[in-house]
Amino acid sequence: MRFKLSYEAIILSSQRIMNYSKPIKRIVSNHDLEVWKQSDVFDYVVQFVSDLQESILGLENDAPVTTSKVSESLLKLLDEVEKVIERNPVVHDKDVSRFGKVEFRDFYDEIGRTSEMLLEELVSGLDSDPRIELSAYFNESWGDRTRIDYGSGHELNFITFLLCLRKLGLIVEQDFPCLVLKVFNKYIQVMRSLQKLYWLEPAGSHGVWGLDDYHFLPFLFGASQLATHPFMRPKSIHNEELVEDLHKKYMYFECIYFINSVKVNTGPNKQKLSLRWHSPMLDDISSAKSWMKIKEGMLKMYKAEVLGKLPVMQHFMFGSIIPCPEGIDEHSEANEEDCCHGHAHVNTWGDCCGIKIPSAIAASEMNKKATGAKPLPFD
Amino acid sequence: MDADADVPMEDVSDERQLQQSYDDAASHHSYQQSYSLKNKELSKSNINQLDDWIEKLGKCEPLSENEVKTLCDMAIEVLQYEQNVQPVSVPVTICGDVHGQFHDLMELFKIGGPCPDTNYLFMGDYVDRGYYSVETVSYLVCMKVRFPNRITILRGNHESRQITQVYGFYDECLRKYGSATVWKLFTDLFDYFPITALVDNKIFCLHGGLSPMIETIDQVRELNRIQEVPHEGPMCDLLWSDPDDRGGWGISPRGAGFTFGQDISEQFNHTNDLSLIARAHQLAMEGYSWWHQEAVVTIFSAPNYCYRCGNQAAIMEVDEQHARQFLQYDPSVRPGEPTVTRKTPDYFL
Repeated sequence: MRFKLSYEAIILSSQRIMNYSKPIKRIVSNHDLEVWKQSDVFDYVVQFVSDLQESILGLENDAPVTTSKVSESLLKLLDEVEKVIERNPVVHDKDVSRFGKVEFRDFYDEIGRTSEMLLEELVSGLDSDPRIELSAYFNESWGDRTRIDYGSGHELNFITFLLCLRKLGLIVEQDFPCLVLKVFNKYIQVMRSLQKLYWLEPAGSHGVWGLDDYHFLPFLFGASQLATHPFMRPKSIHNEELVEDLHKKYMYFECIYFINSVKVNTGPNKQKLSLRWHSPMLDDISSAKSWMKIKEGMLKMYKAEVLGKLPVMQHFMFGSIIPCPEGIDEHSEANEEDCCHGHAHVNTWGDCCGIKIPSAIAASEMNKKATGAKPLPFD
Repeated sequence: MDADADVPMEDVSDERQLQQSYDDAASHHSYQQSYSLKNKELSKSNINQLDDWIEKLGKCEPLSENEVKTLCDMAIEVLQYEQNVQPVSVPVTICGDVHGQFHDLMELFKIGGPCPDTNYLFMGDYVDRGYYSVETVSYLVCMKVRFPNRITILRGNHESRQITQVYGFYDECLRKYGSATVWKLFTDLFDYFPITALVDNKIFCLHGGLSPMIETIDQVRELNRIQEVPHEGPMCDLLWSDPDDRGGWGISPRGAGFTFGQDISEQFNHTNDLSLIARAHQLAMEGYSWWHQEAVVTIFSAPNYCYRCGNQAAIMEVDEQHARQFLQYDPSVRPGEPTVTRKTPDYFL
């Protein structure tokens, strides 16, 4: 009950906040991470994810759900994102970037330029204007502009965006099934388009040893959809016909379907690959006793492997709606990085970050400036 | 006259490598004497053991924890005396990232010719992401100990404690051995891997790229490399940097190392009288890609990287006349299913 009470208290108090500020990254060290993991804010995020998971227990994707005005606005918002994708097709046929397709940056920049406008309808009923905070999470929900990659940290931004709406009182608990089955599913659909079109790299990928290249939450929510199923067993993910039949009904199966369609042996032999080769973690999970075990396990795993991991959380932003826990210092690094990759810059990262360093001395000077806590590099 | 003194095992040696040994002798003369004595005692049983392991690993069966311990001890004995800029002679076949794609590594040896009949130089990133990092790195380290003059294995940015905890090798060791012991043994061994190689004084080979703090190859020789890959500084840069179309030095989007332009590469090659910088570290759709008007080449040897990228892999043969030839290959066919039994992760019990 502790969660629920403080949760509502936060909602009330946040409605009074009038001074919204641009959320910034705060967690840079293991110490910060420990403070974060012990904090109320951490508990709120977990509770929100858990409530969303619980709200769709046993429900298929097309189960009848109440669609509120806010949910409708959110679905419209995602339609708009799809239009932004359409307006930014891939035109370079050659690999200009060593990462994904550089046109992703045009997509990202257009989202950055227009998101406050797109969010207008959503917040029109509020006394104050929290869009500076909402747009920060919304803009980062699609991947990293510089690296053209995407991972569970970006997915977390979308959930945090929804959590902000919850804390602003725009979303109520009755909206949760719709939020997951319609809004979140639509978000995943948009992400699939982005991943395929712009070749987004998996961010911080564990390779075959991770749960998935890109996502976590569709597994977490998806397991709840199946947890009360009378006869479906976890091993059914290996049954191709079932996956084919059920991928539109259940998020978990959609994920398996997507992975199977993407992970194939290329080259002349075009060998079909067993899930066991490219996804040993999903294979191992399929040996769990029941979907209920998977549902519960996914939440534990999410807490430990996403919300509890520095490589993910060093990118998490705090503002006034999602406040930074006390005891985490302000680090100049967060601001520096903001300067480098912030969305205020519409130009390429080369223009804002490609500082020319003429000599070894200059390089070592720059290294000196960057001493102290440094974000973990990605490979 | 025992020019073969730094060859701890029975190994084929040609004239060129003998000459190489003479050239290097000045730098670690005292070591060669003591080591050769030690190895003459060890060699016979060790050779048999190594050959057994190579056969076992060739079938993609991992070594036991104790065997890994013994192997790593033997490998430290070999690798600690290699240089920061390990001299390598031609002909040699230069290879890029492998990332635990064991079956594709076997394909590589089919395409390039078996070791030790072909000399190999690997530029790091043996572990992480793929299914068989343990088998891959065990195999390459076995080959290194067995044929130390025939194969050179450099350190990549993934041969690091910090990175392997994020990108899969740690998870794989836990999954396959039930503890982190094997991960610890290998990551301790990685500290001894040489960080660059110099092929016939003309081709500078390394995993990542150049560093604004390194102007000459001699400066690489002065580094203390036996340590975890640092977060910054020259050793970090050599393992993390990337060539770029923009000139000068740039901040790397990776968060470590730098990007360097054509002006930097040309200057470095000129200063050090090099014909080429060969490096790995980046996916190349054709398996290799030229940079900076052929001052730099990227070689990537993991086909269909992560079962997802659809790329070809390549290796670069350099012959006695320094002529280069790229051999490209596609992913090998995976045999049936993995033999590992399923094990429910703790979260789901």
